Amino acid sequence: MSIAEIEAREAALEPGSGGLWRDAWARIRRDRGALIGFALVGFFVFVAIFAPLLAPEDPRFQDLSRLGGSCCPGPSLDHWFGIDALGRDELSRIIYGARYSLLIGVVSVAVGLSVGMVFGSIAGYIGGIVDSVIMRLTDIMLAIPGFLLAIGIVAMLGPGLVQIMVAVGVTQIPIFTRLMRGSILAQRDNDFVLAARSIGVPRRAILSSHILPNAISPVIVQATLALATAIIEVAGLGFLGLGPQDPSTPEWGTMLTDTTRYLQTAPHLAIIPGVAIVISVLGFNLIGDGLREALDPKMRGRG
Amino acid sequence: MLRFVVRRLLLLVPILIGLSILLFLWIRALPGSPATALLGERATAEQIEAINEQLGLNDPIWEQYWAYVRSLLEFDLGDSVTTRRPVTDEFVERFPATIELAVAAMFFSIVVGIPLGFLAAKRYGSFFDHFSLFASLLGISIPIFVLAIILKYIFAVRLGWLPTVGRISVLIDLETPTNFYILDAIITRNWEALWDVIKHLILPAIALGTIPLAIITRITRAAVLDVQNEDYVRTARAKGVAPRTVDGRHILRNAMLPIVTIIGLQVGLLLSGAVLTETVFAWPGIGTWLLAAIESRDYAVLQGGILIIAIVFVIVNLIVDVSYGFLNPRIRLS
Repeated sequence: MSIAEIEAREAALEPGSGGLWRDAWARIRRDRGALIGFALVGFFVFVAIFAPLLAPEDPRFQDLSRLGGSCCPGPSLDHWFGIDALGRDELSRIIYGARYSLLIGVVSVAVGLSVGMVFGSIAGYIGGIVDSVIMRLTDIMLAIPGFLLAIGIVAMLGPGLVQIMVAVGVTQIPIFTRLMRGSILAQRDNDFVLAARSIGVPRRAILSSHILPNAISPVIVQATLALATAIIEVAGLGFLGLGPQDPSTPEWGTMLTDTTRYLQTAPHLAIIPGVAIVISVLGFNLIGDGLREALDPKMRGRG
Repeated sequence: MLRFVVRRLLLLVPILIGLSILLFLWIRALPGSPATALLGERATAEQIEAINEQLGLNDPIWEQYWAYVRSLLEFDLGDSVTTRRPVTDEFVERFPATIELAVAAMFFSIVVGIPLGFLAAKRYGSFFDHFSLFASLLGISIPIFVLAIILKYIFAVRLGWLPTVGRISVLIDLETPTNFYILDAIITRNWEALWDVIKHLILPAIALGTIPLAIITRITRAAVLDVQNEDYVRTARAKGVAPRTVDGRHILRNAMLPIVTIIGLQVGLLLSGAVLTETVFAWPGIGTWLLAAIESRDYAVLQGGILIIAIVFVIVNLIVDVSYGFLNPRIRLS
């Protein structure tokens, strides 16, 4: 009997192929919080993709005459979210800002997730000295509070959009490494793994087709929540002035940097980007919470 | 118990060694040479030569590392480029401000979070329960600096109830033997200053404490829900123990372990969040200090500051670990 045949039989024995996912989907459809989360994130992605069609103006277009001598005109019929300190349309900047936040969140989580999964899988599956070395390295990285680690990395790479994405991504590596390792360890000694090993399935095949698919769900939950954290942290770095060095870049955190100066006369400049960040982060958090409950094996069959 | 503590202490050694290697390599990976990194852009050729000699940059790398560790063991973290003062001196001056802020934030989040989570669990499924869940979700979704700006706008700019920036009003005189202003005001019996310091502390503490508050509320609710249907709780109720005693002694005490765990985990968050909170409120602590160091490329301050914070963080985590040992014998013995 070839390995392929064994795997085919094994697949047949599993309770309905894709059962976990179908179950999870059924549960998540009834979860009102998660649905709101999907709606918020859907809206956010929609705005990001169709920004050029939705935005009334070029986000970098300046017209100082619109300021009318004071900073800064608040919301009006022509400019729903008002005008910023350089005479730019705030609404257009918020709409284009969605692109940056989405891009930044996805890229930095992708960095943390991919590197963390590789290290976590190696540590969990090989064990021994390799495991010890990788775990001590994560201990060292986790010894520096995440945001400070990101600041240190930005200091090394210099400020900028790509740099803060990398910095936030790197701070997430140890988290995903530990999670993946723990998840693999929980699966490694299962009967189906023992069975596969006893009939001589190669180690790499055991890892990729038996352990990983079963160990992945906590990682997916963490990745969703990490998107929320990444957006917050990147906005924080942008707010501190470590983000894109071209101040015309409509990144939400960077947009907030100077607003504390105009708080007296133009609170909308601080509140609107803030609300935009909160809404997108809230969306990812709601989905993450929903997924955590939906993918929890203990909840299966209770849908 | 002693063996448990000693083992934990021994585990610190590789972490501290790793940290020192990491920061040693970090300063060498910075843009420019270590000499210009440490001296600043305007250094003269003689100064660079001197620091190269002093740092032994012509020696083999392991000898350089050894020299770095030796200076660390003598608590010498080098001098700040901008102020020409030892990094340790500046740290000692600024750290109390951050600690005071972090402790106030933690106090706020515990004092509000535990009762909130407890009540939500007691009224499981009620409007209050749903509201607390939503509020805590919102709490972890607001970036600290956004919340800080909004609080500052409402309570300082609009209503004018509380000061906008700093730790103390310029007009108030306060002797500061400890640099913990609240403590200083109490020691010197300066009640006017005490009130002023507290007023300055309120908004930053709420801004910094909101995320821990949201997390503590959620965990308390979950832990109480978990415990309140246990057999021993039912037994206590059945034998007629007063409801208040059951709440305190049977439910809350047993729900405490996950709560303490999560409180311990907030320390890193507080230290990270302090950078942003301090920026909004111009708080003269570690956060604004490190940020100014980035702007002026004062790498000695960054290297030393991050190292000390990491050490503090690791030690706090150790204390939290050991306190689980006290709370839960199962951990101690495993």
